[in-house]
Amino acid sequence: MMKTFSIGGIHPSDSKISKDCKIEVLPVPSKVFISVAQHLGAPATPVVKVGDQVKVGQVIAEPAGFISAYVHSSVSGTVKSVGPRKDLAGNNMTHIEIDVEGDEWIEEADLSDTLITAIPEDNKAILEKIKMCGVVGLGGATFPAHVKLCPPPGKKADCLILNGAECEPYLTSDYRIMLERSKEIVVGAAIMKQVLGGCPAVIGIEENKPEAIKAMTAAVAELQKTAKGYDGISVMTLKKKYPQGGEKQLIDAVMGRQVKSMGLPIDVGAVVQNVATSLAVYEAVQKNIPLITNVLTVTGDCLPLEKQHNYKFRIGMPLSYIAEVAGGVPAEAAKIISGGPMMGKAIANMDATTVKGSSSLLYLTAEQTVRGVESACIRCGKCAEACPMGLEPFLLNKYARNNMMDELEENAIQDCIECGCCLYSCPANIPLLDIIRLAKGDVIRIIRGRVQQGKK
Amino acid sequence: MDKLLVSPSPHLHTKTSTKSLMRDVVIALLPAVVVSVLFYGWSELLILGVSVASCVLLEYVITRYLLKKPCSVGDFSAVVTGILLALNLPSTTPWWIVFIGAVVAIGVAKMTFGGLGQNLFNPAIVGRVFLLISFPAQMTDWTRPQGFIGGGLDALSGATPLGLAKEGGVAAVEGLDYMDMLFYNIGGSAGELSAIALLIGFVYLLVRKVIRPYITLSILATVAVFSGIFWAIDPMTYTDPLFNLLTGGLLLGSIFMATDYVTSPMSNWGGVIFGVGIGIITMLIRYFGAYPEGVSFAILIMNSVVPLINKVCHAKKYGR
Ligand code: SF4
Ligand code: SF4
Repeated sequence: MMKTFSIGGIHPSDSKISKDCKIEVLPVPSKVFISVAQHLGAPATPVVKVGDQVKVGQVIAEPAGFISAYVHSSVSGTVKSVGPRKDLAGNNMTHIEIDVEGDEWIEEADLSDTLITAIPEDNKAILEKIKMCGVVGLGGATFPAHVKLCPPPGKKADCLILNGAECEPYLTSDYRIMLERSKEIVVGAAIMKQVLGGCPAVIGIEENKPEAIKAMTAAVAELQKTAKGYDGISVMTLKKKYPQGGEKQLIDAVMGRQVKSMGLPIDVGAVVQNVATSLAVYEAVQKNIPLITNVLTVTGDCLPLEKQHNYKFRIGMPLSYIAEVAGGVPAEAAKIISGGPMMGKAIANMDATTVKGSSSLLYLTAEQTVRGVESACIRCGKCAEACPMGLEPFLLNKYARNNMMDELEENAIQDCIECGCCLYSCPANIPLLDIIRLAKGDVIRIIRGRVQQGKK
Repeated sequence: MDKLLVSPSPHLHTKTSTKSLMRDVVIALLPAVVVSVLFYGWSELLILGVSVASCVLLEYVITRYLLKKPCSVGDFSAVVTGILLALNLPSTTPWWIVFIGAVVAIGVAKMTFGGLGQNLFNPAIVGRVFLLISFPAQMTDWTRPQGFIGGGLDALSGATPLGLAKEGGVAAVEGLDYMDMLFYNIGGSAGELSAIALLIGFVYLLVRKVIRPYITLSILATVAVFSGIFWAIDPMTYTDPLFNLLTGGLLLGSIFMATDYVTSPMSNWGGVIFGVGIGIITMLIRYFGAYPEGVSFAILIMNSVVPLINKVCHAKKYGR
């Protein structure tokens, strides 16, 4: 029996149109704008000023708190400005503008293709490197990776789960790196597993990616034969179901454990990292290359196959630039998504630039994405059936519209992972998640307030 | 592309809509409709026509002119109610009684509660039960009209098998052939005519994921077990399980009416409780009550406890 998570889930068409497009390296534009907010937590503090010369990989902003991350220059050249610029939602955020001159890297970076399989012994040094290289989770949440890799005292990791599910429709960047950088990903996994104290590592991949399963299994087998430190790594085939790649769902699928409400994965002995993060860890630890590149998918049903791409990009590239290199925005596109169609963000501003976690430029047509007119709830229960957290969205919707905060908390609105399964499934086109998302924020504020009160 | 659409996630939506679900229910009912028209002929066609037309018309008029709400008639739910009401009536029912049934179903049971999604009771059943109480004579006249085929099938004309069993005991229904009942030869309302036709509809609903099987299966299982126990104890007084499964609109009720979204529980376990309740009440009425058949009453009674069931039964939450 193939494993999957136990509650809810949906089966949207996976639409992996760009899966056979090899990763291409995007040419560097003449200018980049690098945001200081590329991660979950406090935006980093710029440490360069106008006129400074920077190299590729040089630190340009430092973490501003425990949960924050370094940001590095993705190009070499001159800092042109440090100031506000609109991100993809249209909000102002500090960006560092750099005029590109040549492509000169920091000395310590190893740009060769040689695979380095020997894992350094000093775990402290490894963690320091991961932190200094600004590695963050690339599965969506962009949580600083080194924080997740240091379990708090008293907690132990029983299993490192590598997320290769890529359960969002359309996205193929993780798929491509699993095919093209399989061994590097496995080395990254071995490094993380060693740091975590040698727990087993499981690479979870959905059944609809047989080539990736094959490539990763082969990479694991080969490294186990030829190098030390690779025991206890395995590939697990998962049944296709959205949101398999949700942290809580993946832990349930792989380990059969469920994280308590408001708890953390480490509470049940789990650490989850995306395969792309594993690749970033490899580059940081083995190659001294900070996280300044990632892979994004340019796709959509309205794009002809030759205009579908998987691009290796550098952070700070304007989205409009990428769209242009890829062959222009198709006329039928009504909405452009950064991220998957289920949890990604609609782009309001194509002048926004790529960040570490960018994963796609997805073009959706009006017909695909415009919601139908809302009608009465017919109490079909499809939203509840779909909810992977076992919530009852129709009920939360009703309570939220009536501002019933106690009832919302009792019915666990705070557990909502905003996966969108409910809204996707509702035949009456009720904007369930829109309403739940707002009310959830309020309820979490109330809970936090109470915890604060209790502390005083 | 002039202006980009910006809205919160998710950006995709299922193709399933209220309308497509209701259309699927209509499609699932078609086999039963076809069989009933074939065997009961013009009079059945008239009942179906009057019932569907009046339900749709009433829904239109009431939403449009009385409630002044956006008109919901396009969603096929009134068509479903119309067909279900028609299939629940004897094929000799005069058209004006059918119309009154539609008025009660749509006007009273559905619209006074606020329309689709708000009603506590299944509209078609309310319509039927109202007629049963108001026009007992016409509603239990099971004379077989001439159908388009199967003219010689009137072995049981005048009463339903359940009615016979009620009056004459088990002996009265001894000669019944279950194979006949399975395919077409059940006396009674049109919807009780062919078990196979109804079961085809059931499978269709399951395949299309319109309904979940829990409610239907728990009703059928409960009826089978309940009657099985009594029949095992005293086969001379109590009818056997297969007889009870195939007669008296049990299939029509358990497949198409107890599973009505609006008036059934939301959770799977709630559905099981609901189904077991319907099964038990149905059998209590059949064995000990005044009416020969009890599915309609059982569903109505259980409809009324659905809010309570929903309060108690929740899905299992992740990590709790
Ligand atoms: S968005 Fe929240 S409520 Fe909706 S299905 Fe996902 S977890 Fe459940
Ligand atoms: S899916 Fe929509 S119509 Fe069905 S119960 Fe949930 S909110 Fe109501």
